[in-house]
Amino acid sequence: MTLTAKDFKSDLKPIWCPGCGDFGVVQAMYRALAAIGRPPHEIAFVSGIGCSSRIPGYTTAYGFNSVHGRALPIAQGIKLARPQLLVLAAGGDGDGFSIGGGHVPHAIRRNMDITYVVMDNQIYGLTKGQLSPTSPRGLQTVTSVGGSLEQPINPLLYVLAYGAGFVAQGTPADMAGLTSIIEEAIRYPGFAFVNVQSPCVTYGREDQQIKAHREQMKTLVSLGHDATNMADALARAQHYGSELYTGVFYKNPEPPQTFEAQARERQTQLGPSARPRDRILDMFRQH
Amino acid sequence: MTTDLVIGMAGSGGDGIVSAGEALLSAAASEGYHAMMTKSFGSQIRGGESSCRVRLSTEPVLNPGGTLDVAVALNWDDFLKFGGELPVGGNTVVIYESKTGVAPDKLPLTGVVPAEVFPVPLQDLAKEFAGTEKAKNTVILGLLAGWFGVGSKGVLAGLKKRLAKKGPELFEANERAFQAALRYASEHPLARPRSLRAPPKLLPKLLTDGNDMCAAAAIFAGCQFFSGYPITPSTEIMQFMSREIWKYGGALVQCEDEIAGIGAAVGASFAGKKAMTATSGPGMSLKAEMMGLATIAELPLVIVNVQRGGPSTGLPTKTEQADLFQAVFSAHGDVARPILAPTCVADSFGLTVEAFNMAEEYQTPVIILSDQEISQRKETCDPIDTSTLRVIDRLVPGPAELEDYKRYRFTESGVSPISHPGMRGGNYLAAGIEHNEHGDPTANGVMHARMNGKRFDKLRPLQARKDLFKVYGDPDAPFALVAWGSTAGVAREALALAQADGLKAKLMVPYLLFPVAIAAWTSFFAGVQAGLIVEQSHQGQLHKLLRMYLDLPRGVASFARSGANPFQPKEIVAKLRRRLDNQRTDRDGQPHEE
Repeated sequence: MTLTAKDFKSDLKPIWCPGCGDFGVVQAMYRALAAIGRPPHEIAFVSGIGCSSRIPGYTTAYGFNSVHGRALPIAQGIKLARPQLLVLAAGGDGDGFSIGGGHVPHAIRRNMDITYVVMDNQIYGLTKGQLSPTSPRGLQTVTSVGGSLEQPINPLLYVLAYGAGFVAQGTPADMAGLTSIIEEAIRYPGFAFVNVQSPCVTYGREDQQIKAHREQMKTLVSLGHDATNMADALARAQHYGSELYTGVFYKNPEPPQTFEAQARERQTQLGPSARPRDRILDMFRQH
Repeated sequence: MTTDLVIGMAGSGGDGIVSAGEALLSAAASEGYHAMMTKSFGSQIRGGESSCRVRLSTEPVLNPGGTLDVAVALNWDDFLKFGGELPVGGNTVVIYESKTGVAPDKLPLTGVVPAEVFPVPLQDLAKEFAGTEKAKNTVILGLLAGWFGVGSKGVLAGLKKRLAKKGPELFEANERAFQAALRYASEHPLARPRSLRAPPKLLPKLLTDGNDMCAAAAIFAGCQFFSGYPITPSTEIMQFMSREIWKYGGALVQCEDEIAGIGAAVGASFAGKKAMTATSGPGMSLKAEMMGLATIAELPLVIVNVQRGGPSTGLPTKTEQADLFQAVFSAHGDVARPILAPTCVADSFGLTVEAFNMAEEYQTPVIILSDQEISQRKETCDPIDTSTLRVIDRLVPGPAELEDYKRYRFTESGVSPISHPGMRGGNYLAAGIEHNEHGDPTANGVMHARMNGKRFDKLRPLQARKDLFKVYGDPDAPFALVAWGSTAGVAREALALAQADGLKAKLMVPYLLFPVAIAAWTSFFAGVQAGLIVEQSHQGQLHKLLRMYLDLPRGVASFARSGANPFQPKEIVAKLRRRLDNQRTDRDGQPHEE
């Protein structure tokens, strides 16, 4: 049976504002998942809290809309417990790089085969317009009256520096490009990170809406970017916030073994030395 | 001859005090004695003071014992740092390193004249006979064998086994030191001999600590996933799992923090596997939000809190029972989750299996409230018949239910069959947000009230559980003791003392602390005139918790004090006596409040 994008769309009506970039992201997910071809029940889709974290509920996959910032630990637990599943994680820039920022490096270094999509809008939308970790310095918000005094996080450099094997960026202004980036991320055999510049239509800057993205975006392919070259990837990623590059920044040409594959090896290797479960106490016997 | 011997030893880290204790413990266990060993350290990573207390008996050992029968001090500075943990009394035989330069009549023990005092050249004996000072712990073992008859067979056999890999020379050196110490003991006999009587019969015993017992039980119960973050005194659970869980097709991940530690376990449970995490008080504080998530998403999960002294970093290496309120109340919203407390190494096994069963049957997080003493003390246990233990797996939806699957279907029991990713037709959204029967998010107050009702109703059968309570003594006795966790072992001995003293007393040991099983408590307290709820916390948390749910008899009071100050059976009996006197005064119209 061939799956189509519709097979991944649930009956729940999104709570997002009309014009929100996240509509494009969920559409791109449906299309990418259809192209991958795994049935919805073999997919676990985990998120934290925020507007974008509602996304698992809008798919027909097994969803887990958990607590703020904790999508990645839960996703890793799922992947390690049942490695045959396709595991996706998603959330906003605040969820992933503020409250949950401490989990990102560890998800990267463990390298489970999980695709993590961050919908980056540089603002807190669900709580109505506060400063986010990717808000530019000087941004006026209801909690940064007079302008933000902080340097924003650069999500691309952040994950590259920690050694992520797949790093890409997209925008719903280019649906075909975004779909293919997400599909490629899912196919990458290891931890894959996709930053989506997904504008907030209500609290976001006017010059950062989808229409503006169409004019600003430059595909990395058109720039002759070599995605197997880490140094080039780092150089391009530095322009986060001033240039809207889309496409794959970095893809490790020799993906290292995943955590779950090594776990499987260990299970196979040690399995034969297991005592029967009901004889486990024998190890404590004194005679 | 004696039937019970309590030995306390202290020195600097590196003196080998704890390994001497362990050697004595295994030797005694293999000779057929009942034995228990607790360790206590300063919180330094290396060096610093370290001590152990070994209790050997011909009868089952219920607690680490009170005043020492034998005190061994490698130096007095370190020994005295343990204060009330190693109490010396008028009946104690004191052995100390003569190099410390203290004259026997000038011991730095205030207000105590020990029964006998032996300054022994421990270092010199070790050096002379084994060629190294390091063997001074073997010298101590030889002295104990010589003077008290413990381990004379088992110690050398154990050492031989342990040192086998290191070549025969090392064992032979230790053997010479041991024999020299035996000779020393026979040349300097005790004024009043007190050898430990031979054990009645040789039963094959188990010897381990509470953390390993808990982890082994998790494997037995089918746990296939462990995630956590190292924290004293629970870390040995993760260490055990790291060795064993892979053998059973399971997996382990040491996480970046306590939140991820429970988060990954929540994920594994969502994926359909039995999962566990273990921590101590500070970690529990960090895990609170995730526990709430597991409650609303109705995911089975076992969380072990090996209690230590708090708040904050508190007394990280010492025992306390002050996390009960946290276990019950650390939640926003209306949350109830089962809380189980083991009382010794042996019952840590069955109770951990019970925790997994409850988690699976009722789709809820379950907290095991252990404590540092149980978790890190080693004791002999009789063999456990695992064939009598049930293992319960979660209820999964059948093909008919998957036709129109509702993850949170309202049922009579409140339990709805739970699917997991990979199961066709079982797709649903698990969420921290309130949901309807399908699992779809809702902000509807009526639905929220019904779901709260469902989450509480499903735990109701627990309140009728009687098997999770043990009553010792005459069930109709008018005087009552209540004790939970590691304090229960002391209370059992106190009960025996009270009964021998002619008091009509009984003791309640609850293994299920929450939900409060009102029927079990009410029937225990029926007819009780006076009693004590004994626990190691400043507030007396179980006493206060019970008062939330039931009217305690007027004469029942709290006997509580902060951790790292173990109770002694005698003082419990004395306190109970005072309570009775107060009661009598009470009836005369002169109230005495404690």
